[in-house]
Amino acid sequence: MSLNAVEIESLSKMFPAAGGLSRFTVLESLTLRIERGTFASIVGPSGCGKSTLLNIIAGIEAHDSGQVRIIAQNGTKSAARIGYVFQSPRLLNWLTVEDNIRFALEAQNIGKVSWDERVKKYLDMVGLAGQEHNYPLKLSGGMQQRVAIARALAIEPDILLMDEPFSHLDEITARKMRVDLMHILKHAQPTILFVTHSLREAVFLSEEVYMMSVKPARIFKHLRVDIPRPREPEDPRLFDLEKDLVREFFSVLEKDQQ
Amino acid sequence: MKNHALLRIGSIVSFLVLWWLGSQLSGPEILPGPVAIGRTIIENFVTAGPEEKTAEFHVAVTLARIVFTFSIAMLAGIALGLVMGLRRRVELAVGYLIPIALTIPTLLAVFLCVLWFGYSEAGGLFAVILTVTPFVTVNMLAGTKAIDKELVDMARAFKANRRLLIRKVLIWQLMPYIFAAFRYAFGMTWKIVALAETFGLKYGIGYMFTFWFEQFNMVQVMAWIILFVALMLILEHGVIARVEEKIFAWRPVHAF
Repeated sequence: MSLNAVEIESLSKMFPAAGGLSRFTVLESLTLRIERGTFASIVGPSGCGKSTLLNIIAGIEAHDSGQVRIIAQNGTKSAARIGYVFQSPRLLNWLTVEDNIRFALEAQNIGKVSWDERVKKYLDMVGLAGQEHNYPLKLSGGMQQRVAIARALAIEPDILLMDEPFSHLDEITARKMRVDLMHILKHAQPTILFVTHSLREAVFLSEEVYMMSVKPARIFKHLRVDIPRPREPEDPRLFDLEKDLVREFFSVLEKDQQ
Repeated sequence: MKNHALLRIGSIVSFLVLWWLGSQLSGPEILPGPVAIGRTIIENFVTAGPEEKTAEFHVAVTLARIVFTFSIAMLAGIALGLVMGLRRRVELAVGYLIPIALTIPTLLAVFLCVLWFGYSEAGGLFAVILTVTPFVTVNMLAGTKAIDKELVDMARAFKANRRLLIRKVLIWQLMPYIFAAFRYAFGMTWKIVALAETFGLKYGIGYMFTFWFEQFNMVQVMAWIILFVALMLILEHGVIARVEEKIFAWRPVHAF
């Protein structure tokens, strides 16, 4: 039995260029392994193909070559469960908070008997106890994103994909959400693949950081953040790490441009 | 909410007062007053008019025609709009024909159908369906264009099957468009049914307009018009608005 939750083998993806017959490469023979139970981040500039990678893993976008394997936690043959938190909450605004979570449970064919218990458990976990019957549009942006996180956690995923989930929030809310996410993860411990353009966010949250360059995207650096979690956002060690990574990132970027 | 009810009652009352004033100024032979009209409406219900039919009968005939043509136009329009929206080929094939259907004046459509079918029930009803369906279609087509692809992707990421996707994601996004079509088509339907009754169909409220118009009976013509308007207002505000409120409870109330 493998200890990996995700195994990506020389994955390539091309997009048709606008208007023309030519295609440009977004991802080129990308290989990535994520160990079960780790919080891994992919950091890269906007438009480098991070979201595309997550969409391919989630199965909502096709790839041209290579392999993506998601391995279920219990090792059974049943398909692995994938939770997804997007940049925007992507809630069904016509359903109550509770029904939004049930939507994911129903989609995943999770037995109805456990629905109530799961809804309660994960809403509690994201700090939204008592909001079951509210409609999403009555909630703030931050609270909506918490519902989205609860929805993704409620299916108890083998892997949780998070695509810049805090980038649409104001910095104060985002900061609180990051700290809260840390605490949530003490209770639920899925494997997380977190995509961000913020080195600081990646360094604060993750155990593993992968840095990605643009066009075609490749991973040029892998770093393990050994500072025990939960961490303090102001931890000077995090700042030092970030500084080093920024320097490295720009040197690679310049080399790429030459 | 109390304020709203007061405003509505106020507007109806002031309309009646203006009407009464108008009839006083012009004389009842030009504009009959609200009291005379009200009395005539009640009389029409109580005592049988031409061909031994009471107002109840004509109202029932008109409502039945509205419900029948409206249901068919809605169903056909929704189906056609969805197929066009979801199948590019169908949209390309039918897309140019819709504006043609939209530009034909309603009155002309009614005349055409009279020419085709004679003064028959089928002809009149066909005219209504023919003119209302394209409007529903256009609305539904707009609805399919407005489907949020991000939500569809979300549903796919969570592995929702087709049924769940339609039930919880797609229908709700189409709902505002279905309702816009519903309201618009309903307004059109009752006007065109009345028109078809005026020109060709036997029985119904529109038929009574013509009947009394040919007798130059101002009081009766107005009595039937007011009855018709009152009925449609009750349907619009009493039934349709209520259903809408229920379905759109999730939308925040805007303060304007």
